Amino acid sequence: MATIEVRVEVTGLVWEVVARPGDRVAAGDPLMILESMKMEIPVVTEREGTIKEILVTEGMPVSEGQVVALMER
Amino acid sequence: MTSEPAQPKGANGTMKRSELTDDKAVASEAQLLEYEARREQALAMGGAEKLAKRRAVGIRNARERVAYLCDVGSFCESGLFATSAMEVDRDRTPADAKVCGYGRIGGREVGIVANDFTVMGASSSATNSRKIAQMKRVAIQRGLPMVFLGESSGARMPDTMGSRGMGTMLGNDPAQYRRMRETPWASAVLGMCYGSSAWYAVCSDFNVMRKGAILAVSSPRLCSMAIKERVDPEELGGWRLHTEVTGLADLAVDTDEEALDAIKAFLDYLPGHHNEVPPVRGVPAGSGGGMGEILSLLPARRTQVYDMRKILGTIVDKGSILELKSRFGKAVVTALCRLGGRTVGVIANNPLFKGGAMDTDACEKATSFTVLCDSFNIPIILLVDTPGFVIGTEAEKRRAPGKIMNFMNALSLVTVPRLSVIVRKSYGQAYLNMGGGRNSDEVAAWPTAEVSFMDPTFAVKIVHGLEPGQPRFEEQYAEMARDSEVWGMASVYAVQAVIRPQETREHLLRILEVHQLRLTGGVGQHLMRTWPTSY
Repeated sequence: MATIEVRVEVTGLVWEVVARPGDRVAAGDPLMILESMKMEIPVVTEREGTIKEILVTEGMPVSEGQVVALMER
Repeated sequence: MTSEPAQPKGANGTMKRSELTDDKAVASEAQLLEYEARREQALAMGGAEKLAKRRAVGIRNARERVAYLCDVGSFCESGLFATSAMEVDRDRTPADAKVCGYGRIGGREVGIVANDFTVMGASSSATNSRKIAQMKRVAIQRGLPMVFLGESSGARMPDTMGSRGMGTMLGNDPAQYRRMRETPWASAVLGMCYGSSAWYAVCSDFNVMRKGAILAVSSPRLCSMAIKERVDPEELGGWRLHTEVTGLADLAVDTDEEALDAIKAFLDYLPGHHNEVPPVRGVPAGSGGGMGEILSLLPARRTQVYDMRKILGTIVDKGSILELKSRFGKAVVTALCRLGGRTVGVIANNPLFKGGAMDTDACEKATSFTVLCDSFNIPIILLVDTPGFVIGTEAEKRRAPGKIMNFMNALSLVTVPRLSVIVRKSYGQAYLNMGGGRNSDEVAAWPTAEVSFMDPTFAVKIVHGLEPGQPRFEEQYAEMARDSEVWGMASVYAVQAVIRPQETREHLLRILEVHQLRLTGGVGQHLMRTWPTSY
């Protein structure tokens, strides 16, 4: 089964993790919300699939391009 | 043949008048037959087998592409009988691999260069370089847009080999890749594009790629030979790379037809040349119909994101948005649209991506779009909602200061009307880049606008040394937030109008009318016409 890496588009802080391992998600669904530039920026998946692993926790800083979740199709 | 009887030759061997007439008749018949034979050979391109292979996979050939692009029967070919200047290739180079000429698109004349890959991979030769040069020269001097249909393998071998080959083939046209934006250029990448097809694609004002086509300096094969890099063509120069990473393509589509339709659509927003105003079209029924509910497109909290394209779609003429580089630098939307039937160029922050914080890609995209609009007399509308520029080490590595100032300088050199509307946030330097102050001809703001040097939370920390949760933080924050409201700048006339959101379309229509370039018949000064075509 192909693994999909979900990356963040912006450097910031993980504000809220919305998705949990095992969740079935559709393209465009938010997996977590980052705080950056005083904005709530959703991290969305571009593909549908099942959440395999969330690699960050709330309050953790993340950098642009960092993989924050793994999904399976 | 004439029916006159044959006449004997005169004593001195000269022919009598009737003999001359006879010979001429025979000759012209033979010549016409030769004409037809040569014409047929030229139109046969690289041969039935190669053409059939393309047809089998649904890819049009050069002549089919030209026919699809142009108004029916309007193509006037230039150089049908041109062939390679090399004796050995003369019979296998119909039209010398580049189908060139003049056609009409929507009734307007354009110059066309269509690469015929079935003839020696549409490689560049001495003859076909002259054909391209003629197309560009006529287009520039007579005010015709140029269309390049790209699919070429690069310089022709062995013609270009050796110092003699280089001296003969290269550098004989000092204007070959010069861009001064006298007329719009549109390009489609419709196959492997190495060499000239790649160069003309990136020199163009609009570049559409068909998925599966490749745009690169050189082929994977040469990469493998020269630098031992084994690379997949898609990774080297596919549509994802150029629409998402390099921004060298404005649009990616699935088929040849969609690519050619995109070129027609793009040119329909543009004037034929830089001394002309863009065409005016009818206003579709229902335009502005959603204005009453436009405020509902903004989220409840000031920190939440939304898709600015929905707001844009509500304001402009119905169905008139042609978004350029939609997958690149997404924190900014650049789109050709119509307002009241007139072409406008929209630069809009999009909070849906990076919260609307502009990164270096977004800056490059805004800069190149600004240059396009100003060069072709297209008024610019800025829709503003940005917390600022992306900062941090990644941004600095990508030369953020340089990109921000290029964008700023471009905006300051604009001579077409610039109108800005502050929808929500406008902070710091980004306030100026998005048309704040005198960087627009008119600044309007919604009552939801908030403008300051930085977000009130940061400002309270810096000015008062207070963190959220500490005593007096809330009080100081409330004061800073209040100071960011639009009324302060309205009171010092830094915005010329505070408008009800639902009146945005009407306001822009009215102000656009006011700012028509009457003194020059709608034509700007084109101060950036020699700016780069990519950054």
